[in-house]
Amino acid sequence: MVATTLEAAQHAASLVTAAYDAEQPTTDMADMADAPAGEPQTYARGDADQALDSAAVRMEMTYRLARNQHNALEPHATIARWDGDKLTVWDKTQWVFGTQMELATVFGMAPESVRVISPFVGGGFGSALRTWPHVVIAALAARETKRPVKLALTRRQLYFGTGFRPAYQYAVRLGSDRRGRLTAMVHDVRAETSRYETFMESVLVPGQMLYSMPNVRQAYRTVPLDVNTPLYMRGPGYTTASYVIESAMDELAHHLGIDPIELRLRNEPDADESSGLPFSTRKLRECYAVGAREFGWHRRNPQPRSTRDGDWLIGTGMAAGVYDTARNDAQASVRLDADGTALVQSAAGDMGPGTYTSQTQLAADALGLTMRNVTFRLGDSLMPPAPPHGGSWTMASVGSAVRDGCDKLRQQAIELAVADEKSPLHGADPADVVVSAGRLHVNGDPARGETCQQLLTRNERPTSNAPAGRECTLGVGDFDEVEGIHGGPASFPVDGLLDRAHDLHVAAAAADVAAHPLADLLGGAGVPFLDAADAGHDLPRRAEPALEGVLLDERPLQRMQFTVLATWGEPLDGGDLGALQAPCQRQAGVDPPPVDQDGAGPAGTGVAALLGAGQAELFAQQVQQRGPVVDRGGAPLAVHGQRDATAGGATAVPPTSIVVAMNVWRVGAGAGPSGGGSYDSGSSVDMPTLFVRFGGRSVD
Amino acid sequence: MRGRYIAGGTTLVDLMRETVERPETLVDISALPLREVTVTERGGLRIGALVRMAEAAAHPKVRTLYPVVSQALELSASAQLRNMATIGGNIMQRTRCAYFRDVTAACNKREPGSGCAALEGFNRTHAIVGTSRQCVATHPSDVAVAFAALEARVHLLGPDGERGVAFADFLLKPGSTPNRDQSLRQGELITSVEIPAHPRPLKSGYLKVRDRQSYEFPLTSAAVALHVRGGVIHEAKVAAGGVGTVPWKLPAVERHLIGERSSQALWTQAAERAAHGARPLAHNRFKIELLKRTVERQLRIVGGTP
Repeated sequence: MVATTLEAAQHAASLVTAAYDAEQPTTDMADMADAPAGEPQTYARGDADQALDSAAVRMEMTYRLARNQHNALEPHATIARWDGDKLTVWDKTQWVFGTQMELATVFGMAPESVRVISPFVGGGFGSALRTWPHVVIAALAARETKRPVKLALTRRQLYFGTGFRPAYQYAVRLGSDRRGRLTAMVHDVRAETSRYETFMESVLVPGQMLYSMPNVRQAYRTVPLDVNTPLYMRGPGYTTASYVIESAMDELAHHLGIDPIELRLRNEPDADESSGLPFSTRKLRECYAVGAREFGWHRRNPQPRSTRDGDWLIGTGMAAGVYDTARNDAQASVRLDADGTALVQSAAGDMGPGTYTSQTQLAADALGLTMRNVTFRLGDSLMPPAPPHGGSWTMASVGSAVRDGCDKLRQQAIELAVADEKSPLHGADPADVVVSAGRLHVNGDPARGETCQQLLTRNERPTSNAPAGRECTLGVGDFDEVEGIHGGPASFPVDGLLDRAHDLHVAAAAADVAAHPLADLLGGAGVPFLDAADAGHDLPRRAEPALEGVLLDERPLQRMQFTVLATWGEPLDGGDLGALQAPCQRQAGVDPPPVDQDGAGPAGTGVAALLGAGQAELFAQQVQQRGPVVDRGGAPLAVHGQRDATAGGATAVPPTSIVVAMNVWRVGAGAGPSGGGSYDSGSSVDMPTLFVRFGGRSVD
Repeated sequence: MRGRYIAGGTTLVDLMRETVERPETLVDISALPLREVTVTERGGLRIGALVRMAEAAAHPKVRTLYPVVSQALELSASAQLRNMATIGGNIMQRTRCAYFRDVTAACNKREPGSGCAALEGFNRTHAIVGTSRQCVATHPSDVAVAFAALEARVHLLGPDGERGVAFADFLLKPGSTPNRDQSLRQGELITSVEIPAHPRPLKSGYLKVRDRQSYEFPLTSAAVALHVRGGVIHEAKVAAGGVGTVPWKLPAVERHLIGERSSQALWTQAAERAAHGARPLAHNRFKIELLKRTVERQLRIVGGTP
């Protein structure tokens, strides 16, 4: 229902009666014990079964993990607006390019004709890593009504309108010697998925490298149920597996009467035994030592229920977690203006980790400016590409791009100064010039220098369309996009975005950060909501039919969802991968949009006229660097070998980069782990809008 | 549908959003002069219907005379809600049974004759006492449990004038008319809740057991008030929450305590009587034992052990 007020839309929706032929649904894996499951993902080293048979100590445990629903403080919401054949969408998304690609595919448009804006995500936790049906519905409604349309999911709709961490049934068998040295572990993992999609995540990784043992066998199957498709949530897969493995280790420690930390130390690997490669970071022994000291580990009474504080039982336990230090391709643009301020942009997200702040700090540090004079903007598909805001890689990826771009820009400013006869720095060795608090000066001779403002003001030139009239700007990155060079003149309103970028454009691949394929998304190990998870079975049961019609009718949408997910390194159904190649390349930064070259030429000329000879060479060099990339043009995905492997359906496992963290905690009996926080933010768009509400009354 | 009074609106607006309640007319009563807390002639307390939960909880008289009321209020809802919601509205609030609030589910309380989805559905949080075949939903209020324990009276004003109703008669068990939550007549308005004078000193307190430590309704709760003189319990007022379709007075527990001396054995024996007549459903059998333990612990907390 679409109406001019929310109340009218809600009322109209309440008048709709939808009739369904009801069948008995299955929403609990426990009811599907013997159900045929999908083809398993497997892993093996050594002969785990034989090793188990001959193990001195054998233990067998099954852990059932409840579903965790996504329901952040800030629900999913979308505003869609069409300007002719261009679509602009304000959305809660952790990846503006994912939403852009999906909408472009659904509506049969070029991605450039879809602009997605998401300056604040609110609580993400992984739930905004996929484009949900309501986003398409909002765009469709806006197209049909020829008005901007706003659609906000209700709390209840979040349960079936977005994803969730799937329920697991994780059976583990372990064998060890009498001293607790592990010889084998067998993992039989079953996870729920929907009937219409297969969702899998990196639940197998910790079992392969958390502890040292010669024999491991793993099988990971999905069980299709009458539920909506799961999605990533906070340390997806890793959290689940760590919980199971660490619980099993505690059982073994208890069985053998060995201190839990001592047991783990006896099984601490020297290298990643799944690859033979060394860990990039693994300070687990140190974690144990410090944690044990800080928490008074050795004073604890290991006997269960032995320590009380009034009516509270006090327990002290420990567990290790593991997560890879993933990194992904990212680009950033950086511009230094004559007023001494810098603008840094990358289409990253901020769901609460403080991307705005951290990137501003990084940029200010690298540019030699105060934070007050640096503005960082994110969350717009017109900006240089950034990877999905998940996987704990935004800082490493976007941060590297920002850092690299700012370093280059600082260098440009220095080069400009030492070549400028009117600058006090004229003739200085660029290597001797530093920038600090917005001032360039010779290292060791602070008196010899000038401010960025002075340098750029002196090098002013007339501008054609900047209201200020005359400005000078230095920049690196893809400023051209907002002026419409990218895919022809854009009709997107660029309000507030790059409002001063109308004069000098230096297009260069400022900072392409190479990365290995993505293994998984989202770090951390909190649980946003501690649900009474069994209640979840009942709500989706009645809610789902409302959505099902939408899903069936939007086949292109579903297809695109597969492909978008697959670009993140998660093999879903594996079909339709061809469709994602171009967007994937774009996102990955493997091939920056070829049109950038068009921008680079004239801009380079302009720079040459403005700057000294050496400076022109610098830019020419950067443009040339871009050259081979552009030449690849429409090359297939295979140009990026690692990514190709991902697209082929292989499980991408980070080969060397592992971080291990330890948590030791103290809980009161009766108090579960408390919920994680959420980031309170909001963005509003002031425009006449229509409201959509979908749903209605179902009659069985 | 007929009209509804609205004051803090913390329950009614939610229900209207969910289309559970669709009143044709709302009458805003928030400006009425019902915001006083006064000591009655006999030394009881009269709390105006429009006194906010937070105000009532913090009122010096409430805090000193009836800590059980302050504690029940402060363990309710969230600070924001307690600043908005009124005492009158609190005891008028409707059940949190998920099926009542899901307009696609069968619910006799919402739509008489449509059935009860909770009977065969997910009923872990539902009632074990006071139920009928029509309805097994709990009354959600905490402070109502304290009022029930203290044998409060609800003062009403209607077209036929004023009247007072014993708290035990004000909230209705579902029986065959689960759509009726209160014994209000057409147009009647709550003006105040009066807590009668009890012999002093009166030690009292409220214990709430729930799935999470904040902003959650009770699985079980216990309101206890004891008058002990010379080491002997002369008066005992006990009620339980989270287990009944209405706040559940526990006269068998009270009788067992009168005339006895405090001891751990006494608390245990008395609490054994807390779940008499309970009829658990598929998912809430645990509430029987939990209720006994809740009552036992709260008796011990209020009465102490020598």
